[in-house]
Amino acid sequence: MATMKFIGKIWPRLYIAIAIVFFVAPLLSMARFAFQRIPVISLGRENLFKRWTIDGLLTTLRDPEFSHSLSVSLKVAFFTVIVLLFLMVPTTLWVHLSAPRWRGVVETVTILPYVVPPIALVVGVSGTYRSIAPWFLASNYSLVPFYAILAMPFTFRSLDVGIKALDLRTLVDAAKSLGASSSRVMWNVLLPNLRTSLINAAFLTITVVLGEFTIASLLLKRTLPMYMAQAQGREPQGALGLGLFILVLTTILFTLVSIIRKKDSKSIDVKNINVGMVP
Amino acid sequence: MSALDFVKVSKSFGEVQALVDFSISLEQGELVSLLGPSGCGKTTALRIAAGFEIADSGSIHLESTNIIGLPANERKMGMVFQSYSLFPHLNIRDNVAFGLKVRGVRNEERKKRAGEMLDLVRLSDLGHRMPHQISGGQQQRVALARALATQPHVLLLDEPLSALDAKIRVEVRDEIRRLNRDLGVTTVFVTHDQDEAMSISDRICVMNNGKIEQIGSPRDVYNAPATPFVAHFVGSINSLPVGDTRVLIRPENLELVNPDASAQWCGTITDITFVGAFTKISVLLDDQKITMSVLTISAQFEHHLSIGANVGIVERKS
Repeated sequence: MATMKFIGKIWPRLYIAIAIVFFVAPLLSMARFAFQRIPVISLGRENLFKRWTIDGLLTTLRDPEFSHSLSVSLKVAFFTVIVLLFLMVPTTLWVHLSAPRWRGVVETVTILPYVVPPIALVVGVSGTYRSIAPWFLASNYSLVPFYAILAMPFTFRSLDVGIKALDLRTLVDAAKSLGASSSRVMWNVLLPNLRTSLINAAFLTITVVLGEFTIASLLLKRTLPMYMAQAQGREPQGALGLGLFILVLTTILFTLVSIIRKKDSKSIDVKNINVGMVP
Repeated sequence: MSALDFVKVSKSFGEVQALVDFSISLEQGELVSLLGPSGCGKTTALRIAAGFEIADSGSIHLESTNIIGLPANERKMGMVFQSYSLFPHLNIRDNVAFGLKVRGVRNEERKKRAGEMLDLVRLSDLGHRMPHQISGGQQQRVALARALATQPHVLLLDEPLSALDAKIRVEVRDEIRRLNRDLGVTTVFVTHDQDEAMSISDRICVMNNGKIEQIGSPRDVYNAPATPFVAHFVGSINSLPVGDTRVLIRPENLELVNPDASAQWCGTITDITFVGAFTKISVLLDDQKITMSVLTISAQFEHHLSIGANVGIVERKS
């Protein structure tokens, strides 16, 4: 009986320990490879604390190709966020306020990126554009509509959960009875109350854009993931160092989001804004 | 001149007729309750007045101006909802000042007016708090202050007490009555609770199936119900056989007597419920198998009451 109790107590901790090793060990190995100037063959325990350096990462960060690709990715991410919020905020509000029967249809449309593979999307859409507006595909911003489609499921769900947590109809009616016009209701009541959902949607969209490879590769755009894939051949240590660096940055960003979320859930009483998995 | 006039307002949702030729005039400063069961059309009438629903036909006049085509934000009406409708991202003072802000009132003036309104509902200490930091009763009082801050011509209250517990409900109800009297603002109060309507209203408009059954003072509606529906919906009533017909008599107008020749009806006590101020007694009539309720009247008689006892009932002579 005592043994059973001991196993019952130790098992959850063991499980967590295994999970940590499973996720952290590759990252640590990656860090050693990226930041230790020691031949891979000599990466034993005896050299654990020797010759650590961030030179590889700095070299990569100083590479003009890197800053160019980062700038392309950030610009594309920015416009994707704008386009998506511009499309999805009114759509989600409309579905909740005026057309609840259409919710199922909108939800189905938003999960299309899961069903249609990126390659089919690119081949279909680029074929159309090549014949009617070839200049569009030449621009880096041609990625924006594709990425908007890819990030649509996250944006819709994030907004949907945020709106469900509000008594939307009453808030809109209350604001209108106090003399607010429709645009005033949107700016002074709805958007401030959906702040957490909007931030969530924006960060998830940025994550999708910063991690997307297939479409950028098919359209021959020099985005950050494309640069990293190419740099792995040229300067593998620097590229992996950059990968870790981006991972740390993304983690910090998401920690900030969750702090804002917690702060907001205290003041706005929004429960459980959860947007699902991070790609 | 009436403050608010509904003239033959009708509204359907698909096959359902929510409101049929609804007409009523409210005098300046009057508090009128729309009373009826769920689905009787009372909230629809209020939402049409507020501009949140569009009437199929009819008109609404606010101080003789037809407002039926005006959008909700131009109607100069304040509204309080059943659910606490305070804006979660604004503190209490900013909630109260919201209507003034959208009307372009300057910051200093806004603050002053919001402070005055919070004084009016006796919550001036809570201006800096967020809505979730105050109780439901306080939230509804803030919602009242917010609706009144813009000095509306008419105050619309959509079951504002339904979400509150019994004790707080009475407090907020009294607050509404006090504000209506002090400020003289014409008020439409929607409720399904007859006690609420009786205690707060100058007049009650009893509704059923989208139609008005009766409009009158609480006393008239209770003592002289125009239809059997009103008689049954407002207060308790017994339907008792007299010859070939039936008469409707309120429990407090019945008296228990010995089951002898002087009794108009005789029966057996099936239940005795002590309710505090009075005792409710259910009696099964000998020949009609009808359960009814009466109020105990004489303390002497009360001692003899027990379940299964035979009693006589007479109508009290007023």
